[in-house]
Amino acid sequence: MSLWSTLPPDEQVLAEPAGDEARALAADQDERADLAAYRRARRRARTRRLGTGALGLAVLVVLWQLVAMLISDPVFLPSVSQTVASFAHYFVHPYPSQGKPLWYDALTSLRRVLIGFALGAVIGVALGAAMSASRIVRHAVDPVIEVLRPLPPLAFIPLFIIWLGIGEMPKEVLIMLGVIPVMAVTTVAALDEVPDDLRLCARTLGASPRYTMLRVQIRSALPGILTGMRISMAGAWTSIVAAELIAATSGLGYLIMQAGDYLNTALVFSGIISIAILGLGLDACLRGLLLLADPSRRR
Amino acid sequence: MAAPANRTGAGPGAAVVIDSVGKTFRRGGRRTVALAGASLRVRAGELVCLLGPSGCGKSTLLRIIAGALPADEGTVTVGGRPVSGPSPDRGMLFQTPMLFPWLSTRNNIMFGPKAQRAARLHERDDPELDTETAALLDRVGLAGFGDAFPHELSGGMKHRAAFARALASRPSLLLMDEPFGALDAITRERMHEFLLDIWDQHRTTIIFVTHDIEEAILLGDRVAVMGGSPPGIGEIIDIPLGRPRDALDVDTELFLNARRRIRALLQQTQLRS
Repeated sequence: MSLWSTLPPDEQVLAEPAGDEARALAADQDERADLAAYRRARRRARTRRLGTGALGLAVLVVLWQLVAMLISDPVFLPSVSQTVASFAHYFVHPYPSQGKPLWYDALTSLRRVLIGFALGAVIGVALGAAMSASRIVRHAVDPVIEVLRPLPPLAFIPLFIIWLGIGEMPKEVLIMLGVIPVMAVTTVAALDEVPDDLRLCARTLGASPRYTMLRVQIRSALPGILTGMRISMAGAWTSIVAAELIAATSGLGYLIMQAGDYLNTALVFSGIISIAILGLGLDACLRGLLLLADPSRRR
Repeated sequence: MAAPANRTGAGPGAAVVIDSVGKTFRRGGRRTVALAGASLRVRAGELVCLLGPSGCGKSTLLRIIAGALPADEGTVTVGGRPVSGPSPDRGMLFQTPMLFPWLSTRNNIMFGPKAQRAARLHERDDPELDTETAALLDRVGLAGFGDAFPHELSGGMKHRAAFARALASRPSLLLMDEPFGALDAITRERMHEFLLDIWDQHRTTIIFVTHDIEEAILLGDRVAVMGGSPPGIGEIIDIPLGRPRDALDVDTELFLNARRRIRALLQQTQLRS
């Protein structure tokens, strides 16, 4: 039997709540109406923001088309329509220099990015967790990360060819290497940011140390870790071209370099747009996870 | 076990005995005495305020009672049992509500009961917890906000949700660390009424930390004035105001006398330190 259910009902009436709440709790009103109205207003605001964002992209496309029409030189700058036609054609038809269509290169690059990213995320988060948990690990690993972070991926290519050969592995490792420091740094920051009192609060509510670690500390850091994943996923795509300079015969990076050699500018743009679409798609997935993990971002 | 001993006793609250508790922090070879020789007996169902300026050891003492900090000297017993670590029997409310931002109000309130069930401290099933949570939401005036997330609540509502979450563990002692310090004056006044109302119904023992003299007098059965060097509990003042109290009591003669006396005590402890 709970304490409060034993009390007479007239004692369960509360004092009139203050300010904003009074509005919501006003007599004879369904209180839920206020929360629902609040959420509706936030959804409307989000739709407006998305509309404005789409407008920005549309302006970019229109400007591109106008400039291309003025220049009227498809090798220097193909128009939007020429690029779309080229994209649609090569998406299913192989181009002469390689013998594979665009979708094949896109999938190849996607696989390399995903494998490299997954490896890097797992190692980076584990490293970050260890750094957050142990002062010694933090002080030992921190300078290593700080030294590695600013190095450009291109600089590693000769080393990777010597050490790892010219297969898939050096390409994935190159991407992984860019992901690890970002994930380690963001994971440390996210775990450090969990207030001590939040942990204490969970403990005073009867949570075991293990339950608190999993359901409160790590859970609380999850949005920060997912934000780190969004940053490093974008980084992974920026190094795909570098990765595919390693004796590649497929992939979007390879396609872009090849198309450039043949002065097929529309195909270069098609490759770039493919990277943009894949990058946006993966970022949208991560953003979706972030919204699931952090309700306060749902606006 | 989680079921507090007081459940069979006269009142729901537990008596607290603080016996010459001391705490020294060491950082880089430097020792800071945060608390020395603090003694206080709190009766079951009593509301005692710990009042003092920052650095007077009031938060340290509260954390020792909560079991978050081990005392270097002395002992604390709650309901006759010595404190050795955090327990759902001793609920804590913080300056910020510390709601879990990824959980709805309802799931925030159910966090304690569910965590305790995972630790096999009780075997209440989900329907029972749901019923109890609905009653608690109603009790704190958030009946329509069970599905709201913390960021969708106003400051006062967040504190009431945190209150409901603490009550869901059926604590026999509530430790409150300047819980309304960050609220505006009007909301704060409402929260005082709310706190006294809830306390009146449940008669949980409450130890309330504050640096606000008027808040301490308005809420407390007694006010323990803290400070000095080394920091500790100085005089303990009885507040002779009747119950129920409200904000209007601030103008009464009894209130003004109490305030004058506490002011003088605070000045004395400052001069000594």
